[in-house]
Amino acid sequence: MKIATPDATKSRRSRSTEAVILFCIGVQTFAIAADAVQEIRSTDSLATAAIEMELAEVPKVRHLVERSHRTYYVVSGCAHFGLRVTRPTLVLILRQIRTAVLVDSIERMADVSRVHALPQAFQGTERQWYRGLAYLEDRVIPVIKPDGFLTPQEFARLDRAAKSIEPRHEFEGAVQA
Amino acid sequence: MSAAANHACKSWVLLHVGNRRFALPAESVIELAPPVRLHNFPHTSQLIAGVIVRRGRIVPVYDVAPILCGRESSVHRFYLIADRAFGVSSDASEASAIPVNGECELANGEMQPRDENAPLYIAGTLAIENENIDVLDLQKLVGVAGDNPGAADPAEPRP
Repeated sequence: MKIATPDATKSRRSRSTEAVILFCIGVQTFAIAADAVQEIRSTDSLATAAIEMELAEVPKVRHLVERSHRTYYVVSGCAHFGLRVTRPTLVLILRQIRTAVLVDSIERMADVSRVHALPQAFQGTERQWYRGLAYLEDRVIPVIKPDGFLTPQEFARLDRAAKSIEPRHEFEGAVQA
Repeated sequence: MSAAANHACKSWVLLHVGNRRFALPAESVIELAPPVRLHNFPHTSQLIAGVIVRRGRIVPVYDVAPILCGRESSVHRFYLIADRAFGVSSDASEASAIPVNGECELANGEMQPRDENAPLYIAGTLAIENENIDVLDLQKLVGVAGDNPGAADPAEPRP
């Protein structure tokens, strides 16, 4: 008979659950895998680093930020999910994806044991938005797909627009100097 | 299961939506669920009012009252859960809920062909207690919004 060591028990538990961050946009709670988020910053702390951009084809992005020599596009969570406009106070900077998301608040972290597949009845853009649904303490919470905020086509458009912004900023900086 | 392909079915669940009675093949019905919490989150799929959780499963709820009765109904507090087929494979089905008022009953009868002017989501009719009751084809009923976007709310995200 084998006796499970505490370490083995711990690793089994960590395999069977997934750490998520629960965050709110308006009254709606969403979950995102904790390891998909690189940083959480306040909007105030990023305000000076954010560069305004407006692209009619991607209206949910109005700013970009440079972090570690990478350009992150700041997506309005309200606009992305079609929710009533709020005043976001936090930015989730995603890992591996050049997207930052404006949210209202962080509720807490949680462990979910299972992410249910989104029912086939859902056939709209939510299939790109969500990995699935978590059932947590009598609530059904959509689990975000981190790469669902911007499509490759939107990234390409934003990259083109960002390139045209860079020389303008360099010029403005030179004039101020 | 498609009701249209089920002429041999003799057993039906009669349900109330709004002030009308409809029927579904009994073998497609899973259960009548009590008033449980309707969970909602942003989406753009038409007709879906949210989801409920039953026996560990997340079940989408279709708000079919506007199609069947032409208006929202506030008296629907129970959920009739039935299998909705996706595609032709018999295992590609999903439990789906319709809000009903709780007065459901089992009836036996032979389904008569549908009136040619009836909407496509009506598979046929049953003559029960001097009443002609329309038999619903759930697959076609919830597909109505996709075929005819005007049949439901426009695809604004629903919180």
